[in-house]
Amino acid sequence: MLPAPQSPTNRPVASSLHPPLVVNDLKKVFGEETDTVSEVIANISISLGHGEIVSVVGPSGCGKSTLLNLLCGLMPRTAGEVLWYGGVSTGMPKRVGYMLQKDLLLPWRTALKNVTLGLEIHNISRGDRMERARKLLDTIGLNGFHDYYPSTLSGGMRQRVALARTLANEPEVLLLDEPFAALDFQTKLLLENDMARLVRSQRRSLLLITHDIEEAVSLSDRVIVLTHRPARIRAIHEIDIDVDRTDMMAARESPNFNQYIRSIWSELEVQRQT
Amino acid sequence: MSVEHHHIAGAAVDVPSDATLGAPGRRRRGRAFRAVGDNTLVIACQIAVLVVLLASWEFATTNSALNAFLFGSPSAIWGFLFEMWRDGSLITDTRITAYETLLGFVVGNVLGTLIGLALWYSRFVSRVVQPFIVALGSIPIIALAPLCIIWFGTGLISKVAMATLSVVVVALITAYKGAMTVDVDQINLMRTLGASKRHIFRKLIVPASLGDIFAGLKLTVGFALIGAIIGEFMSSSEGLGHAIFKAGSLYIIPKVFAALVVTIALALCLTYVVGKIEKMLTPWRQQ
Repeated sequence: MLPAPQSPTNRPVASSLHPPLVVNDLKKVFGEETDTVSEVIANISISLGHGEIVSVVGPSGCGKSTLLNLLCGLMPRTAGEVLWYGGVSTGMPKRVGYMLQKDLLLPWRTALKNVTLGLEIHNISRGDRMERARKLLDTIGLNGFHDYYPSTLSGGMRQRVALARTLANEPEVLLLDEPFAALDFQTKLLLENDMARLVRSQRRSLLLITHDIEEAVSLSDRVIVLTHRPARIRAIHEIDIDVDRTDMMAARESPNFNQYIRSIWSELEVQRQT
Repeated sequence: MSVEHHHIAGAAVDVPSDATLGAPGRRRRGRAFRAVGDNTLVIACQIAVLVVLLASWEFATTNSALNAFLFGSPSAIWGFLFEMWRDGSLITDTRITAYETLLGFVVGNVLGTLIGLALWYSRFVSRVVQPFIVALGSIPIIALAPLCIIWFGTGLISKVAMATLSVVVVALITAYKGAMTVDVDQINLMRTLGASKRHIFRKLIVPASLGDIFAGLKLTVGFALIGAIIGEFMSSSEGLGHAIFKAGSLYIIPKVFAALVVTIALALCLTYVVGKIEKMLTPWRQQ
């Protein structure tokens, strides 16, 4: 496994001194026009620094995905502010990649053409985008599968293609919503390793929404635990594991790992009983 | 193919999941069963049914002059087919009807599909026009035939107009439905990649709607033919509809059937061609 090289040459140019993402007092209420008002997100403040991996865990149905949609500007927020690089943003900020549990590959495009989708939208020349996509697919372990249609690939491979598509636009920040939830354990672990390597070696920032506590702890620098609906922040854990952070198995074997798991689990459990 | 794919999947970094291990075996067994047992048996049964039907038809009409007059007989139908072939009317009538049908089919589908897809752009406009589309779609096509004759004359144009009218609303509704049922997450993903509405339309909505559009095409081939034939029924000097109408008025029942057989053959041909084009344009759907 590669160590996490943090050489300045690999590092994308930070566009400002501000952290990539700061969220202040974010709030979301559904159905305000009707009588069935439901508050999904009560009050959430988060910050994501350069090169940081932060996970958000919470009980299922607590509004994690809503949170991500709010950050991307796919959904209007009720109150609070979302600052991308210090600026108030409306709509999808640039240099941000987004990936969901569903791979959302376009079935009429081959793996390679799925990866070039974002580059086409940004008017990158055909030669350049093909070359970039080929390289990405190769680094992610899909050499030989470039011209396969998604319907002929396994779930793990499809999610790799989706990851390559997200990375093709060279985002500085990745927002991932349970990207590995549909995969079996081995495939998930391999993908997490690849993800950690790709994010850490390039000093990208990653915000991961997940319900998988082990995934959150093994991958992240910080884990934010949310409460039930309406979601609030219940706890924040700085994960201090003294191993190579691109090796998910090593993280699981480290002495602190289980303590983190247990305390986060208890925070979720307590919520279940109330 | 499935075996080969399985091997490659095993060699990749990806540990093959249960799905990739399980699927090929199941698929292979299924395909073997279909290839050897199913297909041949189905075709054999279809031929048997056809032969039995034709034989009993022939038998019932050989011993009764009245039956032969009212219902025709396979041998008489065959005779008329041969005669129509010899005097050239088979070819000219088929060609004229095929021409009307194809023109109406193309014009109707292009118009309907373009409007249907374009309605995706504006929810407001689509809501405004919705009742009008439903109203247009509920008009029985035969009721428009006299108007088409009055407006477009008794020649080719009126038949093409009839074929177009029988196609356009169905094409519009299927294309619109295809465009509107595209996964919202998929659209959001395009937006997060920086896509404009135009990008989303061209790279997502149009290709994603192709499945529905082709389903509509297969359906509307038949509708276009019906429209053209109704047009020919109303007023015409050539075409299969004209042949059916004329033979019917003169009580030459076997000739009616002969023209019907040709019409059916035409419909099958056109459907087959549309299916071929679909396969060509949507290679990702072939497993």
